[in-house]
Formats: sequence, structure tokens, C-alpha cells
Amino acid sequence: MLVTLPYELPELVTSAPLDIHRSTVLPEWVDWNGHMNVAFYVTAFDQASGAFMRNMGLGRPYVDGKHGMTFVLETHVTYDREMRQGAPMRFTTQLLERDAKKVHLFHEMYHAEHGYLAATNETIVMNIDYASRRSAPWPMQAGERLEAIWDAHRPLPRPAKAGRVMGLTKK
Amino acid sequence: MRRPASLRSARMKLPPYPMIDLDLGAPLDRHRATVQKEWIDWNGHMNVGFYVVAFDKATDVLCEQFGCSWDYTKQKIGMTFVLEAHVTYDQEVKEGDPLRFTSQILDHDAKRLHYIHAMYHGTEGYLAATNELMLMNIDYASRRSAAWPDFAMERIEKLAAAHAALPKPKQAGRLIGISKKK
Repeated sequence: MLVTLPYELPELVTSAPLDIHRSTVLPEWVDWNGHMNVAFYVTAFDQASGAFMRNMGLGRPYVDGKHGMTFVLETHVTYDREMRQGAPMRFTTQLLERDAKKVHLFHEMYHAEHGYLAATNETIVMNIDYASRRSAPWPMQAGERLEAIWDAHRPLPRPAKAGRVMGLTKK
Repeated sequence: MRRPASLRSARMKLPPYPMIDLDLGAPLDRHRATVQKEWIDWNGHMNVGFYVVAFDKATDVLCEQFGCSWDYTKQKIGMTFVLEAHVTYDQEVKEGDPLRFTSQILDHDAKRLHYIHAMYHGTEGYLAATNELMLMNIDYASRRSAAWPDFAMERIEKLAAAHAALPKPKQAGRLIGISKKK
């Protein structure tokens, strides 16, 4: 297991939920219905997962240095309101659970000016060894940062939209 | 007098465009695609967002079966919005890989459709991913939910009946979580 990450790490953010990622709805994310297409919500949320991973110390240099990668295993999106081209987005991220190889994250996407909730994304991200392309424990230094994040996020209430199972509620 | 816009699509017996022949093969097994170069991320495989791009095309092919695809929106009758989606990423696919999709209707009501797609590697046959979705019919003018138009509901019911005998896929109805080791 990698003990120390051989590149400069960003300063650890332990405020909870994590509230650092910002983005804008790009023209190529808009579909024939005139709003952000379902797929690009996932792309936008994936970038919020990227911000969480960077905070753990697992940003682009982790992949470029051929140390490891992170793969998404599963994801669940609720589409709450439409977003149009150019809309500014604010993301919050709550760590719901973690183990030696995985994190269970809950993102919320807000319209940054109007403030409304646009979507939520619950996702499982797993650490991958670069050479074998198989799951592997977090590098030790990333694991330590994850525990500090966990201590901060653990007291947060569980989001109402977490843990959803899809189905039609019969009237 | 102008009737409420939200009723326009529901009262429509036939769409003002031709509908394709209904395919009652179960599951629906019509959509094919190829992993595009721009769908690949820095990990060297199809990015999580583009699985959903690919699945959304499979949704178009499903909606085409009941006349609610591109013509439906182009003619300003209605649209279909996704309310909720669940994706399982089962195995990687790379640039140029051929993809085969199957679609199974799980449930439906007056306004909504609950279904699941499976994405397979087109030649190697392995399951690459699944996508469970809840889709809602939207009236074009009011941009609010509305009952499926008659022409669509008639076909949705036939498709649902054809799919009813299929076993429920194990990826349907999943709850996300980290399973604890004993």
C-alpha cells in the first residue's frame, strides 16, 4: 500500500458538508427539451466527486503518476428541477459511509443564484490500483484524511433523499 | 374557447406523424451503439456520465415504440422527463466497443413509466451496466406532468403486458450502500 502520496496535497477541508465545488451548465449539456440532459447531471456530479477525491489527496496527480484511480460502482440521481444553459451550480457533498476501499457520498446540486435544489446524487466510489486495475485499499495518507473528513461529517443528519429505492407509489 | 393545454396530448388518439411497427419482443432488444472517442476519460474507459448518454439513446428507442420520441417534441405535443435514475457500473468498456441494449418495462401508471435498461458488450456479451429509470410524460405547452396521450398509453399497455412475464432483474430496486463485512 502507498503510504505517502508523492505530490503536493491541497489543504484539507473538514467543514461539513463539503461545500467547495462550483460549475456552470455548458451549451453541449443541453438537449432537445431545452434543459440540461440527464446524463450531464451525472457528469456534473462526477466532477463534485472529483472535488471530494482531491480533498482526500486523490486528484489528477494520483492518476497521472500511475498510482491509482477511482471508479464509480453505482449511482442514484433524483432530478428535482430543470437547469438551463449557463445556470450556475453549487454542490454540497456529505460522506455517508466509508470503508477501507470505498466511500458512499451524497451530493446536492443547487442553482447557485436562485438557491433551489436541482438534483441529488448518491454514489459509491472505489479505489483502484493503477497497475492491476483492481480494487485496493486507500493509500495510507488518503485514508487518514478520509478519517478526519468522516469525523466531521458523521454528526450530520442523514439526507431525506438518501437510500431511495425506485418505484411507483400507487394512489 | 381554448381548452387547457395540459389536456391536449391526453386527448390525442393518433399522433400527427407515423408510428413505427410495435415490437413486442421481450425485453425490447433494438438499440445498438459504439463507444465514442469523446466518451473516454482519463482512466481510459467510458466515463460515468456517458454511460447515461448511451442509456438515454436507449430510452429514445423505447419511447419511439409508443410515439413519444423526437417527433413528439418536435411537433410540440409533449416531452418526457426523467425523474430518477439508478446506474450500476458492472464492467468497463473502451473506445470503439460495440454496445447492445435491452429494455424492460417494470411498471407504469397514467403519467409515468418505470423501466430498466441493460448494456452489454456487443461481441463479448458481458453485462457492462444497468440503468433503472422513472420517466414522466410532460405537456409541451405547460411544461407540467400530464397523462400519456391515448396513442401512447395503448402501446405502453401492450409492451408492459409483453414484458410482464420476464423475471425482475436483480439490479432493479437497488438500495445504495457499503455492505459491511461479517
